[in-house]
Amino acid sequence: MSAPTPADGWRRVHPVTPFVRGWAALAAVLFLGGQQVVEDLPNVGRVAGTVQGLWWQALIGLVLVALVAFGYAALAWRMTAYAVDDDAVHLRKGVLFRQQRHARLDRLQAVDIRQPLLARLFGLAELTLEVAGGSGSGVAIGFLKESDAQLLRADLLARAAGVKARRAVPPPQAAGTVPDGEQDGAVPDGEQDGAGPDGTVPLGEVPAGVAAPAPVAEEPAPVAPEQPVYEVPPGRLIVSLLRSAAVWVLVVVLVAIVTAALVTRSWGFLASALPGVVGAGGYLFQRFAGEFGFRAAISPDGIRLRHGLLETRAQTIPPGRVQAVSLTQGPFWRGPDWWRVKVNVAGYDSADGKESQNILLPVGPRDEALAALWLVLPDLGTDEPRELIDEALAGDATTDRWFTTSPRRARLLDPFTWRRNGFAVTDRALLLRSGRLLRSLVVVPHERTQSLGLQQGPWERRRGLASFSVHSTAGPVRPVAYHLDAGDAARLLDDQAVRARTARAHATPARWMEHVAEAVPQVSPEELPVPEPDGGAATLPEDAR
Amino acid sequence: MTSEPISTTGPFDPPGVTWQGVSPRLITARLVSGGITLAVPVVAGVVLAVLVSPWFWLLAAVPAAILVWVALVVPRQVRAIGYAERDDDLLIRKGILFRSLVVVPYGRMQYVDVEAGPLDRRLGIAKVQLHTASASTDANIPGLVPDEAERLRDRLTVRGEARLAGL
Repeated sequence: MSAPTPADGWRRVHPVTPFVRGWAALAAVLFLGGQQVVEDLPNVGRVAGTVQGLWWQALIGLVLVALVAFGYAALAWRMTAYAVDDDAVHLRKGVLFRQQRHARLDRLQAVDIRQPLLARLFGLAELTLEVAGGSGSGVAIGFLKESDAQLLRADLLARAAGVKARRAVPPPQAAGTVPDGEQDGAVPDGEQDGAGPDGTVPLGEVPAGVAAPAPVAEEPAPVAPEQPVYEVPPGRLIVSLLRSAAVWVLVVVLVAIVTAALVTRSWGFLASALPGVVGAGGYLFQRFAGEFGFRAAISPDGIRLRHGLLETRAQTIPPGRVQAVSLTQGPFWRGPDWWRVKVNVAGYDSADGKESQNILLPVGPRDEALAALWLVLPDLGTDEPRELIDEALAGDATTDRWFTTSPRRARLLDPFTWRRNGFAVTDRALLLRSGRLLRSLVVVPHERTQSLGLQQGPWERRRGLASFSVHSTAGPVRPVAYHLDAGDAARLLDDQAVRARTARAHATPARWMEHVAEAVPQVSPEELPVPEPDGGAATLPEDAR
Repeated sequence: MTSEPISTTGPFDPPGVTWQGVSPRLITARLVSGGITLAVPVVAGVVLAVLVSPWFWLLAAVPAAILVWVALVVPRQVRAIGYAERDDDLLIRKGILFRSLVVVPYGRMQYVDVEAGPLDRRLGIAKVQLHTASASTDANIPGLVPDEAERLRDRLTVRGEARLAGL
């Protein structure tokens, strides 16, 4: 290849990859074939005599197709390779249309390990790097052996953090709460060539499977230890889904349809309910399966999220990568005071309506929601964070201490929510509150502001109002404050531009761990899992230099 | 309905900002493209009305009315577009009925596009489009003289590099 070869050498993905990726096509072919056979079953007896001679040809045809498919898959596997060096991850793939992609590690936004159901059976995993290049810019390396994927993730995060550590001072340790090896994630590990997970094959030398581990220059980056912060029990998830708006809409529609059917005695009505039921059921199952077993933890590498029933996903969002946070509560969650926490992370695009990557907490009581918020923003920049957040979540203009809300003349435009719509500013973040039935709070750290906007329509102008918005990266969180007093909005726009600028200049992501350790003091280090897949590879002499 | 430079007051006119307008040739560009789009249904309606039934005059009348409206509004809209380079950010102001103001910090710009279609090139104008990491940043300045567009692009790029800060 004419491409610049990273000194590390190219490595291949696991040979089972094409099968795991192509199983859907395989299943479709089998299904269609099976369907044909079943449909033709009545005719089989009649035409058995004539078909007898054709069986062999059909079989040969099938074998040929299988061979071609297998050959293509083998070729595709052979062409797929990845490499890691100090600055970037390289991936190349494609048989006819070759693609080679470099993802800069200093632009790393998140690392996910995804395991679809079939891959779980094989013990495989796919590693995805998000690098904030817009939709489809991520680099998916897969499939790898699960342990390899974890080692690769640790390696990537260590390298990404190493770039950072050169610029920033290592954080002072919070005594007692941080287990040993905390710094390992932030130390430039494997600065020289050659470090990497073992069990990989230098391209074009040895066939996979029988290869000796690639030589390693240094000890592979250890998997950073983590502290569990919260998890969502399945019972709560189910109850929360039953209390979600989707279910209530479904119930209302079903009752209406059944009533109609009973009154008119025409059962055709029931059939018309089917698409709705299927749709709602699919949505609920998708949410249940995606958010099942949700666990969040912190580690020096960042926030770790694990979830999924059939397809599991382990996300790592390094410190300072969350662009905006939202806390929302539907009307039926108010009783147990449950909240849902979502985040915007560059590279996680929820364009297809699925936001499972953007969930920080699917459902949890206020304390857990706050813990989730502290994960992202350990220091809210105020002396009374709890009181401020309480006001932001449940308060309105009648009790406000911090929030500036829409003026009274906005009540024609916002008859129910004008007392709730408002903003508050701390030293570190901007808080935007809205909604009465569907309560919502959006928090944007000042240094994550992209650009600012001010809009005013004719009705707003007549009443001296304006809407203020912060532009964040693509995601489910949309920070907007509607119908503020025009003067307030203009001042906010001006001040926020200055605040964002100063905050950017002073942004120090290195201070992250210290604050989270304070925020989550109840976890003792002994409970921590110690994932140390310490291969003997570290003792091998290095030859890569 | 005076059509002098529209001076907004209040939130869309931050103190100490001198706004720069865009080239009036943008009016021509917008009128031509709007006229072409709307002329097709007008002509079709007229032809059908003559050949088939007088009811098709309605089909012609609606786009014709829109055309008149566009001809009235576009000049004011174009005059309402303004931009200002401050020390650390760029302001873009638009709209009369629905006003908007966007503040784009130089350090947040990921890249800058300069676009000009065939009509724009003939008229000698270009559009500068700014891109941040946010897709919702709708920051473009249409109707710039090519020299000014290039100057702005280079200036923004230089300032952006000087202030660029991660995401």
